[in-house]
Amino acid sequence: MRPILLQGHERSLTQIKYNADGDLIFSCSKDHRINVWYSHNGERLGTYDGHNGTIWTVDVDSESRFLISGSADNMMKLWEVKTGKCLYTWEFPTAIKRVAFSEDDNYIACITEQRMGYQGAIRIFQINRKGDGKDQSKEPNFMFHPIESKATVLAFSATSDQLVTGHESGKLTLYNTKTGEEVVSNKRAHREVVTDIQMSPDRSYFITSSKDKSAKLYDTKTLDELKSYTTETPLNSAAIAPGRPYILLGGGQEAMNVTTTSARQGKFETRFWHKIFEEEVGRVKGHFGPINTIAVHPAGTSYASGGEDGFIRVHHFDESYFRARPYGDMEPEEE
Amino acid sequence: MPVELPKTSLDWATDALEEFDQPRNEETVDANGIRTITQYTTNEDGKKVKVTRRIRRIEKRTLVNHQVAERKTWAKFGAEKGSKPGPDNATTTVGENVTLKLHAGAKNTETTQQEQTKNPLVNKQVKCRLCQGEHFTAKCPYREELQLVGIGDVNADDIPPSDAGPAASAPGGSKYVPPSRRAGGGAGESMNRNRDDLPTLRVTNVSEDASEDDLRDLFSRFGKVFRVYIGRDRETGIGKGYAFVSFEDRANAEKAMQKVHGMGYDNLILNCQWSQPREARPAPA
Repeated sequence: MRPILLQGHERSLTQIKYNADGDLIFSCSKDHRINVWYSHNGERLGTYDGHNGTIWTVDVDSESRFLISGSADNMMKLWEVKTGKCLYTWEFPTAIKRVAFSEDDNYIACITEQRMGYQGAIRIFQINRKGDGKDQSKEPNFMFHPIESKATVLAFSATSDQLVTGHESGKLTLYNTKTGEEVVSNKRAHREVVTDIQMSPDRSYFITSSKDKSAKLYDTKTLDELKSYTTETPLNSAAIAPGRPYILLGGGQEAMNVTTTSARQGKFETRFWHKIFEEEVGRVKGHFGPINTIAVHPAGTSYASGGEDGFIRVHHFDESYFRARPYGDMEPEEE
Repeated sequence: MPVELPKTSLDWATDALEEFDQPRNEETVDANGIRTITQYTTNEDGKKVKVTRRIRRIEKRTLVNHQVAERKTWAKFGAEKGSKPGPDNATTTVGENVTLKLHAGAKNTETTQQEQTKNPLVNKQVKCRLCQGEHFTAKCPYREELQLVGIGDVNADDIPPSDAGPAASAPGGSKYVPPSRRAGGGAGESMNRNRDDLPTLRVTNVSEDASEDDLRDLFSRFGKVFRVYIGRDRETGIGKGYAFVSFEDRANAEKAMQKVHGMGYDNLILNCQWSQPREARPAPA
């Protein structure tokens, strides 16, 4: 396959998201800019300008109408996807590390950093989808502070009243969004900071990646470990490939150590692992630095990886990818 | 291919005339659907340049839902405001081809490969060409005396090293052994060897889809196949229905001819004969 290289960012990527139909790719970076691209040919549709700091996170609703972004300039912005206009801005005392839309598009959740005497917080806002989207409430519907370790990543479960968070200590917690109480928690999910969390298409299970060099599948209801994938390098991102039984892992050596080793030792490849057999089945190379974020097309036909090197590489899978049966007859039936 | 024509006066009047004189751009489409576009332009140095481009257009249709189709017509915004549709080379390029081979136990094969490349370096022994000691020839303490006597040269060139046999058969041996001296290897391939000397079969009525490897598979069951050539259309790369298969051994070739002649292959019946040398071939009717 020939990857499409997207060079719209001057600094390292922080997050990539496909929209629900998979025709648009949203990317954000430390260079204060959000780009949106057509996934089929890599054409840039536009940019969302207005943030004044590293943009840590973006998410898009299922209708591709609203985009939410969180930045180190302490602002969270709501954008109109079609025109690039900023509809509403929330301001917080600290940076926003992660945002997410709920399944029904009615709520957004955000994690604010713990810094300068402020506690880390998780806030839930209800989005007013009527009218032009400029009339949003300033105050969150619910807000709570995670205890012990600060939250780094989050994702809504299948219903908007529960969300899963990953913490700096490696802990996973399922919160009730209405009361802020912990429903379940798994303190030994990972040994180090959880770097990414991505839900399966039906949100019944999810994958986490961690700096402890492993990625794991967890059940959303019980937070029980389903599968574990252990690699040689710290992981920054993990994604589930819909349609095929694979897991995509991205990471590599820490950016600060990159100059001291060759690209080969750095393991800057996207690694494909078999979801069921927990074995590595393939690699795709191309990045010159660690991979910070990976996103897979919702139909499983392509994937995009964003690296510390500032490049996004969009790969449309060849036919051989869909035909491959690395484990022959033991291969599970298609989902 | 740009063709440079002699430089002429740069006067605007003659320039205008020249433009009038320039042959017009041509565009032709041949039977294979290949479009040939010939353009005549004048480059920065005032030289006329003929540019011939050959393009094949392949139309691909994809079905998308209405929302996706609508989003493709959206006007660009932000930094891309006012840009024309289509990918911009400044931000979007196509990278080099990368392969993704999915197979079980991919990780294990990689580590063994690494070990294999590391090991020969570890086991490599340094041996002096003059005194056979364990040091580089340049650092040999007896270098001057041995070279004077001439023993070193004799050792190095005239007498084949006694351990050449085992060294050649052992994998990862560091010493180069010519093919003719390798264990089990016959005469090596020679540059001068004429391929017409090899017993060659002319196979006709070959399927368009058959590849060199397919035919090699088919014929190598009769003996070692030296070379397979499939006649192809120069433009499209589609097979023309004939192939030449050269064997190393005449007996194998004969056996293959008897078996394959009249055999069904991909819905066609193969026709297999000895290939005639170029001069002797009868003119096509």
